[in-house]
Amino acid sequence: MSYTRKERHTPPPMAFNATPLVDVIFLLTIFFMLVTRFSSAEQTPMELPKPDHSVAELVKMTDRVIVNCTLVDPQAGAAGGVMFAIGANPRESLGAISDRLANVKALRPNIKVIIRADRRLPYADVRALMRMISRHHIELLNVVAHVAEAES
Amino acid sequence: MSAATNKTTPITLTREDVRAMRAKRGLKRRRRRRLATTVNIAPMIDVSFLLLIFFLVTTTFERAEGILSSSMPAEQGERAAVALPISPIVVRIQKTGEMHEDFAIKIDRFDGAPQTFDALPDFLRGLFKMPGFDEETPIVIVAANDVPWDHVVACWNAVVRAGSKKIAFAEP
Repeated sequence: MSYTRKERHTPPPMAFNATPLVDVIFLLTIFFMLVTRFSSAEQTPMELPKPDHSVAELVKMTDRVIVNCTLVDPQAGAAGGVMFAIGANPRESLGAISDRLANVKALRPNIKVIIRADRRLPYADVRALMRMISRHHIELLNVVAHVAEAES
Repeated sequence: MSAATNKTTPITLTREDVRAMRAKRGLKRRRRRRLATTVNIAPMIDVSFLLLIFFLVTTTFERAEGILSSSMPAEQGERAAVALPISPIVVRIQKTGEMHEDFAIKIDRFDGAPQTFDALPDFLRGLFKMPGFDEETPIVIVAANDVPWDHVVACWNAVVRAGSKKIAFAEP
């Protein structure tokens, strides 16, 4: 029995067209690469103040120290107490932070302080920190708040 | 043998001759198989997926952090009591209940202070138009101890929005 040419013809190998898949993956990857903002370890997660029509500016500061003021127990709220930390260091009392800031000020006289305080904290706790910073003759005081919606 | 007989005469074969010879020997013409040039995109897809998953997991959609700057009387620290030159505008924030939103705004010597920080800039701009007041008039923010920090920053933000040049914080 002879086979015709048509019968002997082998079907083409099944191919998976990955081009649209690659397109979509690249699109998503580029999107997430653009919108991702890597936060520094110094910036402890907390609820920052969100003023309406914020005038807070996105500023890159050099020679600065970030003091994080967080609630000891976020579930308990302001009643749980407040702790302070310089950057990513462990949380300490205000007195310990004061000693550290004094050392930093002695080494770097032009140091600037940035206060990152939880929005739920009582003003008295943050004011105590501000007074302590003032005692160390630190000129510039900077407070972190969320920027306006359009800027972010 | 002469040198002339050693010379090999060149044989020129035409394409038809070659075909005939191959047919005689029973050889089929071998078709040269062309290799398909394809790019192996599997590693690229692997890496792309890896990057995509990384960014998917790490991305958090949050508003960016900005800074409200202020200068302090550094040389003297807090011990220096700075005499305020002209009568300042004193903005007081008081807590009125247990909820975060329970607060009241009062402005010394002025009635009708707005009760939202969103409306405060317009009110302050109205005060700046009054005789004896302008953007250089110091604004003192006096917040009660139990007022959430959020409201103090919101008040500060509102005063900056009003165009005030001098902002101070005072003890309640």
